[in-house]
Amino acid sequence: MPEIPATQPKDNEPSTLLDADFMTRLEQLQIVSRKIHASRQRGERRSRRKGESAEFADYRNYVVGDDLRHVDWNIYARLDRLFLKLFLEEEDLNVSLLIDVSRSMESGDPSKALYARRVAAAMAYIGLCNYDRVTLCAYSDRIVGYRQGLRSRRMMAQVVAFLEEIPSEGRSHFAAAAKQFAMRQRQKGVVLVLSDFLDKGGFEDGFRYLLGRKMDVYALHILSPQEIEPDLTGDLRLVDVEDDDVAEITVSKLLLDKYKANLQAYCESIRGYCSQRGVSYYLAITKHPFETLVLNYLRQRGLVR
Amino acid sequence: MRFLSLSTGLIVAAIAIPALLLLYFLKLRRRERVVSSTLLWKRAVQDLQVNAPFQKLRKNLLLFLQLLILAAAIFGLANPVANFIKKPQRNVVILIDRSGSMKTVEPDGRIRLEHAKDGAMDLADSLPNGSRAMVLSFADRAEVACSFTDDKRRIKRRIEEVEPTDGPSKLGEALQLAVAYSANFAAGAVDKAVRGSMDTAEIDLFSDGRIKDADDQFVTRGKMTFYRVGAASDNAGLVAFDVRRDIERPGEVSIFVQVANFGPEQITSDVSLSLDRKMVSVQSVTLGPAMGTTTRPADLSRPVDMTALPSSRNVIFKMAHTAGGIIRVKLHRPDAWPTDNVVTAPIDPPREIRVLVVSSRSAIRYFLNRAFKVAFQIEDFTMMTPAEYEEAGDSALSIEGRSAFDLVILDKHDTKRLWPGNYVFFGGIPVIDGVARSDDVDDQVFVSWRESHPLLRHVTLDNIFAIKWSRLTLPKHALKLIEGESSAVMALITDPGHRYVISAFDLMESNFIKNPASLIFLQNAMMYLAGGDLTHADRLITPGDTLAIPVPPGAESVRITRPDDSVEDIDVADRTTATFARTGDCGIYKAVFNDADKTTETYAANVLDPTESLIAPNERFTVGAEDVQTVSGEIKTNEPLWPYAVAAAMFVLLLEWWIYNKRVMV
Repeated sequence: MPEIPATQPKDNEPSTLLDADFMTRLEQLQIVSRKIHASRQRGERRSRRKGESAEFADYRNYVVGDDLRHVDWNIYARLDRLFLKLFLEEEDLNVSLLIDVSRSMESGDPSKALYARRVAAAMAYIGLCNYDRVTLCAYSDRIVGYRQGLRSRRMMAQVVAFLEEIPSEGRSHFAAAAKQFAMRQRQKGVVLVLSDFLDKGGFEDGFRYLLGRKMDVYALHILSPQEIEPDLTGDLRLVDVEDDDVAEITVSKLLLDKYKANLQAYCESIRGYCSQRGVSYYLAITKHPFETLVLNYLRQRGLVR
Repeated sequence: MRFLSLSTGLIVAAIAIPALLLLYFLKLRRRERVVSSTLLWKRAVQDLQVNAPFQKLRKNLLLFLQLLILAAAIFGLANPVANFIKKPQRNVVILIDRSGSMKTVEPDGRIRLEHAKDGAMDLADSLPNGSRAMVLSFADRAEVACSFTDDKRRIKRRIEEVEPTDGPSKLGEALQLAVAYSANFAAGAVDKAVRGSMDTAEIDLFSDGRIKDADDQFVTRGKMTFYRVGAASDNAGLVAFDVRRDIERPGEVSIFVQVANFGPEQITSDVSLSLDRKMVSVQSVTLGPAMGTTTRPADLSRPVDMTALPSSRNVIFKMAHTAGGIIRVKLHRPDAWPTDNVVTAPIDPPREIRVLVVSSRSAIRYFLNRAFKVAFQIEDFTMMTPAEYEEAGDSALSIEGRSAFDLVILDKHDTKRLWPGNYVFFGGIPVIDGVARSDDVDDQVFVSWRESHPLLRHVTLDNIFAIKWSRLTLPKHALKLIEGESSAVMALITDPGHRYVISAFDLMESNFIKNPASLIFLQNAMMYLAGGDLTHADRLITPGDTLAIPVPPGAESVRITRPDDSVEDIDVADRTTATFARTGDCGIYKAVFNDADKTTETYAANVLDPTESLIAPNERFTVGAEDVQTVSGEIKTNEPLWPYAVAAAMFVLLLEWWIYNKRVMV
């Protein structure tokens, strides 16, 4: 777990991941969860539970054992019946960011890893600004970095430090990492998976683990332009950066067409799987500015508001 | 079309094509690229391939193009040929005429022999694999340039090495050799098939067809094909030559040449005489076209034009010259065969001839004394009786191991005292091996004699008779000059250093000395035997003759300078004659001995052969009585197609390059 730097930077100090202007614009956003999740701590979000905030919610009949402090004595005086006065409970939101830091994320120009970290930083900042509880989880074939309980804007420096220091290495195994994450993160909340999903173990199991925890899952599929339009020619021996697997190809128009069709089909299969299970799927290409992604695209798609 | 090296092609194909396919299966040199994941690529490649083993090769245009190249190259290696005019046999004897006339310059500027060699090499090329060929080159002698082999390169190399000579062409020896070699080859061949095929050994003659002895030959086995080479017919040359010093006026030299035109046009040319490279005299001759000897068949229906110029003429030069030297007669007209336009001959300074007569009979003594002293004006004339001859000291009869006289005439005397020299015996014999005298022959007449022999030239023997003569036993190499009904009357024996003329009859028992013929005979004897002839008969040779040079005492080696100034040293220690055979070229051969006097002998080789000078190639060629199949003009043979195959390979290579580039620039 990355250590907290000795001198903590100010909340809105520009970092390599996010610049000041952008952060200012992020402050106006908040992460939307389609589900209201129960949380242990009070936050700024309305909870399904009735709680103790200042905002009145409802009345209900007194049942033996109820806390007498909540009895509306004015009603009792008027109607001579015991009613409990219910107030809205305000609680915080668990925002978990599952960041794929396998070696495959390093490739591409601009790099997918940097892109993923920037998006993660932006989402974390949005969460911190809204007093959500942010959990950062970096994974490859297992969880390699985990930071939870981040709240308030002051923690942003730790978020940045965490994101900057976690190296991209190892093979990706989303299912294993998701299983580990689901075991560790018992609270429900929003989970944003940032990955290229180039995972030979498949993506389905991973989502299943997360959904099994009734989490509100969002998937951001990050691909580099080189993966969309390969600039390969000739007879090549392609080596997988993660497992040194070799594919010998002779580049031809036919093969390239086939590859593109496969890629599209793969993306479609993830999208189809996700939409069937209520997972929001976004495809991001690193050549598009990530600011646009966060400020416009994700907003339009309803992840942030 | 067929393949000359089908087996080679098949072997290469059997190795190369699987090797190429294997390369495609096993190893394609690929550049390595690191990608984020091979997941999708593998799926894409798998989608392109189905499980069939040759799926990989299907649609691989590169491979197909490479296979095409390979096929073209193998096709080339198999040596495909087309356009056969003749079906080659398995075993071939290639005869190449390299006689003088093959030096004829053809209209394209190359000599005829080059054309013949080209034709022969084409023929060698056209032989299918496994064929055997031998190469014989011949002029007056045949030479095996290459014995039976199936190595075409060797055959062609040996053909290329055939050098032209100036010698006359004689086919006999070459044919004998060809037959002998093929017989040996056939006998040596274990393989029955090979032996069987030798019966059909084919003889391919590359020549212009002007072969002197062709009619005397016959082809004993196999089929002969005559490849007519050459087209030029324009030639004029010197076909006869003689040079004489007048016996009475030794300072005057007469040179006689015969100029003949063998071409179809009338010609006018200068004939010049030069002595030691200085021009002495020039004469102009005009000659009509050759008749009936050109390639055109004689037109018998046309009346013979009696006013037409003769096609040959004699030219006589006279000059005063008392010293020796080398004379050269030249016909100044460029023609297709320049070799016969020049005649060279060494001439000797006049010298006193020393004659010895050995006789005891006064009538003979008187006659010979008158003949030599008065008629021939011989100053150095000695007379002895047989007894004096036998008793005379060695020093009186010999000088340095040779006879002291140029000519010795012995009348009715047998003797052993015979130093190297020239002897004429009348009624006696030399006491040497192989010569004997037995009983007398009488009541017979002279039946025949060699009129053309220099000794009997102009000697009319019609009115000569002898009452009787001795029957002679002669060695085999003796030349019978006059023959009676049952035995020789006069013979010439030529032994190293010695020449004996043996006359079996006694002068007193014949009317010979009463007839002018005897004087002419004596003069001939002086000219021929004693070297009264200006150019010794032995000193004018035909190219290709072997020189037999008498070795002077004390000489150990002789240096011979050939016409092209090349020099050859021959060891002659303990030998009486030096022989030299490399006389293929026309011109002067000079032999210098290393004895005390530096004895020098000069020889001249000249063509002087109307058969060779007639350079127009024969329309038809006959060997013996049989017509030989003639192939003329351009010798058609296998046209190699491999360059086209290679060109196709190159084209496909370019195509491949283009397609590859087009493909990779998606």
